Amino acid sequence: MTRRLWYVSLGCATCALVAGYAIGDLWIWTLPILGLAVLRLLGQPKWVTSLELLLFVGLAAIGLWQGLPFGLMLLGMIAALIAWDIESFHQRMEVAERVDYREALERKYLQRLLIIEGSGALLAVAAVSLTVTFSFGSALLLGLLAVIGLSRTIGFLRRESD
Amino acid sequence: MRRLLLLSVLIYALLILGLASANGLIIASSIPLVVHLTATLFFAPQNLDLQVIRTLSADRISQGIPVTVTVSVTNHGSHLEEVMLEDIVPAGLEVMEGSPCVLSEMSPGQSILLEYTVCGVRGRHAFQDFKVRAGDRSGLFHRQAVLHASADLIVLPHVSWLRRVSIRPLQTHGYAGPVPARLGGSGVDFFGVRAYQSGDPMRWINWRLSARHPHAFFTNEFEQERIADVGLILDARLRSEVRVNGQSLFEHAVHATASLANVFLTDGNRVGLLVYGGFLDWIFPGYGKMQRERILQALARAEPGESMIFDKLDYIPTRFFPARSQIVLVSPLWEEDLPILIRLRARGYQLLVISQDPVSFEAKAIGSDPRASLATRIARLERTLLIRKAHQIGIQIVNWQVDQPFDQAVHATLGRIPLWFRAVGLGQRG
Repeated sequence: MTRRLWYVSLGCATCALVAGYAIGDLWIWTLPILGLAVLRLLGQPKWVTSLELLLFVGLAAIGLWQGLPFGLMLLGMIAALIAWDIESFHQRMEVAERVDYREALERKYLQRLLIIEGSGALLAVAAVSLTVTFSFGSALLLGLLAVIGLSRTIGFLRRESD
Repeated sequence: MRRLLLLSVLIYALLILGLASANGLIIASSIPLVVHLTATLFFAPQNLDLQVIRTLSADRISQGIPVTVTVSVTNHGSHLEEVMLEDIVPAGLEVMEGSPCVLSEMSPGQSILLEYTVCGVRGRHAFQDFKVRAGDRSGLFHRQAVLHASADLIVLPHVSWLRRVSIRPLQTHGYAGPVPARLGGSGVDFFGVRAYQSGDPMRWINWRLSARHPHAFFTNEFEQERIADVGLILDARLRSEVRVNGQSLFEHAVHATASLANVFLTDGNRVGLLVYGGFLDWIFPGYGKMQRERILQALARAEPGESMIFDKLDYIPTRFFPARSQIVLVSPLWEEDLPILIRLRARGYQLLVISQDPVSFEAKAIGSDPRASLATRIARLERTLLIRKAHQIGIQIVNWQVDQPFDQAVHATLGRIPLWFRAVGLGQRG
């Protein structure tokens, strides 16, 4: 089940980004996307998983900068995130010699993943749809607050996680 | 941790890029990543409160016998979404069936049972640690703990059946046993003749001798058979260990010592053990099944070791062995050991050396290179000479080529040669 969803999400991420770049007539950028997707399908080593997420998110950000469709870029990014997470889950399952309640674990995992990513997508779309006007100073202040808050959160998480 | 770092870097990068380019879409695109991170944090595991109980189906076994290890893990803490439980199997044990590792979900109060079968090499194997790694479903955050659940498994050396080993110490005990006591009395083997004393059974009178002396009667005496003190010395010096193709000569020595201890104790003798290697490990002389267990456990923990002091056999504590008793040394035997053996003989000990042949053991791995063959031949000559010297000073030596069964090697050297065989001049031992 997870494996199938991994293929679907990888395909989705690839197609969304390729379509976005094709719409923007930036064909050259589709090559690394397709190349990486082929590498992943051939079952390349573990570190490619992280490279894949890095590249897909990076390309989505570049695409947004270039003015490519937000929906496709967001879809590509979220699908890549799902593929990355599923791959990690799958590896943990493979490493374990014995897995109790495998089906229940997979089901609960997928349920939560889809809810989280769905909520993330909805929030992102909502953030883009709602228009609130800020002065440059307020925007800068809010941005700084976000960065500081995020730094503190990540710092806390790193301390908490062994 | 790397995954957490990667996700954080991506969020930062998107925010900074969005701010720098004043592009709200890029900032908005970071929201799914932020949601992913915070949601995962929300479900991150709390403190681990697990109880581990480990039980073994047997705590002492012989080599090759499987043991079932059962580990029960109970969660007394909060719900764990994904937990990896791993029992650390001591080196020297091999998992034959089942798995010491499980990935599962644990509700509060839930127990998980791990059951697996191990088989091991000789030695004392201590189960100590049990590793727990709990994480969220995405694997971004985790907590680890090493819990302690001690259990010891002793794998005793292999003991093979031996026919009776004939020894003749100068001193024996007062109780009946299988060892010829060098004393006249009731027994089986003819010992001598003495003047008749009233009360002697008629069938013991030596009529042939009495006929030659008309005024006297003579009675046959038989050699008394008693139990004796036997001191086993296992040479555990590093120089006595030879390893060829994963096989160890020392393991053969341990096997031989265990088999000898078993046969001597079965015969009712008082047996002690000294392991002479990196340090001295000894078992005081004793009788019976308890003593057998003590000796086997000492042999189970015996390892070859190096020590500057015990590099030569000079420091064998002779006071450990009763005077004029039987000493059995299990050692490959080296040239410099001979003076110490002479000294032991001079003190009245009867010496039996079980010498596992290192030359033939190592020669198997050398191959048929002419130079190697020549070297092997020289080493074999040196060994033959050493064994001959030992014979000359009255030491019994069993030159054991370890690919031969131990019982066969012992019996061929120490067994009683049939009378008719000796009568025709065959079967003489050098």
